[in-house]
Amino acid sequence: MSTLSDRISGLFFMAMGLAMYFWVNPNYIETVEGGNLSPSTLPNIISIILASAGAFVAIKPTTHRLRNPVLMAKTGLYVALLTGGIWAMSWFGFEYVAPVLALAIMWLIGERRPLWLGLGVVAMPALIWFLVTQLLGRALP
Amino acid sequence: MVDFSTILAGFGDAFSLFNLAFVLFGVILGQFVGAVPGIGPIMAMAIAIPFTFGLDPLPAIAFLVGVNKGGLVGGAVPAVLMNTPGTPDAAATAMDGYPLAKQGKPLKATKMALFSSVTGDTFSDIVLITVSAPLAILALKMGPIEVAALMIFAFSILAGLIGNSIAKGVISAAFGLLAASIGQDPENFTPRLIFGYWDLFDGLALPSVAIGMLAISEILHRLSEAHGNMRPAINAKDTGNPDDRRVTWAEYWSCRYTMLRGASIGTVLGALPGIGSTAAAFMSYAMTKAGSKDPGSFGKGNIQGIAASESANSAVVGANLIPLLTLGIPGSVGAALIISAFMIHGMQPGPLLFENQGRLVYGLFGAMIMANFVNLWVGQLGLRLWVRVVSAPESIIFSSALLLCFVGVSMATSGLFGVTIMLIFAVIGYLMASFGYSLVIFIIAFFLGPRFEKSIAQSLALTNGDLTQVLKSPVALALLVLSVVSVVWFLRKNTEGEDE
Repeated sequence: MSTLSDRISGLFFMAMGLAMYFWVNPNYIETVEGGNLSPSTLPNIISIILASAGAFVAIKPTTHRLRNPVLMAKTGLYVALLTGGIWAMSWFGFEYVAPVLALAIMWLIGERRPLWLGLGVVAMPALIWFLVTQLLGRALP
Repeated sequence: MVDFSTILAGFGDAFSLFNLAFVLFGVILGQFVGAVPGIGPIMAMAIAIPFTFGLDPLPAIAFLVGVNKGGLVGGAVPAVLMNTPGTPDAAATAMDGYPLAKQGKPLKATKMALFSSVTGDTFSDIVLITVSAPLAILALKMGPIEVAALMIFAFSILAGLIGNSIAKGVISAAFGLLAASIGQDPENFTPRLIFGYWDLFDGLALPSVAIGMLAISEILHRLSEAHGNMRPAINAKDTGNPDDRRVTWAEYWSCRYTMLRGASIGTVLGALPGIGSTAAAFMSYAMTKAGSKDPGSFGKGNIQGIAASESANSAVVGANLIPLLTLGIPGSVGAALIISAFMIHGMQPGPLLFENQGRLVYGLFGAMIMANFVNLWVGQLGLRLWVRVVSAPESIIFSSALLLCFVGVSMATSGLFGVTIMLIFAVIGYLMASFGYSLVIFIIAFFLGPRFEKSIAQSLALTNGDLTQVLKSPVALALLVLSVVSVVWFLRKNTEGEDE
């Protein structure tokens, strides 16, 4: 299992390096006439290094142990929640979304104590609002 | 280069009540969050940087210096009381601090950590103030060829010293460089790898990348491990004996050589890019134990062990600024964050900093000295309070930290696009850490990338593409040879490590 994680990541970086070199860099970097250093020179060199080092890791993996896949899946849930939070903020603003987001996170962690929930859901967003909009005079997202 | 009046003016700027208030606030915040396992000074700084926008550069930097220094003291509290270091470099502190706390002397252990931390920190600050200006003068004599060689040297050290395999270190550095190449090409100013998103034309914002990878990815990891069992409050039992609650002068003085050794190790290692404070703490601890007449007492509550670890890990902080201020090379993640704060406030780290903004640099030095005294004072008063902080539930800490990161990055990058980038890099950082790739190398390579490319382009322009010109620069040649030697040395060291 421990060598498998390095093989997977090594192959990923190898594929990424190759994709960058053969497809992404030629298509997404403008070519320029003249100059000492072409815009694609460094990305191309990096892509080759990335692919070579990735292949090396895949061929000669270390004994690094991957994090528990169940925990990684759980992290995916939190990422989805935060993505939703950002999307909602773009529509409704921080003031309305932050308390809901804080409540969802605290609930998912397992917090059920009303005092701590109140602090996290009401007091903390209110404090941030006061700090940013009143003290610093800046806009919230 | 910097005249005496500039130095005096800089220190005069720093020693004002206004700046003292910001240092004080920073130290309190740093000690507070440093005491929370999993947060630490790096995350605190990452979150705090965007909130310094509205401030003048000096109070802003003074505040961040306070956060950084306070965090190191705070990090020792959970290490001593829970055997759970608030910061990785406090892990060595836990080896003797926790047994001492279990003996009913938690305050003696935390106070010894405080005193030795401030001692080590002050030592390295004095070294920083003394050597950085002369080093900057030397650095100013470097041309683009030498700068490019220096960048290569910095990369060779970083890739070798951090991470458990050279190949993985190379991947982290290459990935960081690749991320840095998004945006304008530094020579031709054409868009590069922006995929139609013109918000990326100026490149990925450092606050988005740094906060995403360092703060949010760690919070995501900690969130996934929480199972609804909130952290219990810590009850460090006290013997009731007043002598067990304080560190006497005799006890402090008995550790003077230990602290001097620790501070020297921390200062030397801190001045080299890439060597973290954790290595300094463990090296100092090991040397103190090896040189002790009673090595068997180490790990059982010996205050010499606490003094060795804390003096070394704190000494790294000041010394880390030596390569940053003189060469513009961040030696650690903390230094990379300080660099981003400098840039937000219009300071460009590097040898020209002393010439262009000498007064501000000496103001920073003044703030650092001030922060040491404030750290001592706040620590004396606050240690009992931080013990309670350790028992705050993760639920409120992490939800609040996430909201602060959202707001902070939004302010730093002018909108939710930066927040989205932050989340993307949080996921990348989480996956990289899960698969054993160094985030530190990534961040530093990301920062150095544009400077590296620019110096290469300038070198090529200067030499008309003739790379043999490098042979005519002894400094560049020496740096390139050093780069090769360090890579070979690290490869050998790595191979030996694998064999063992």
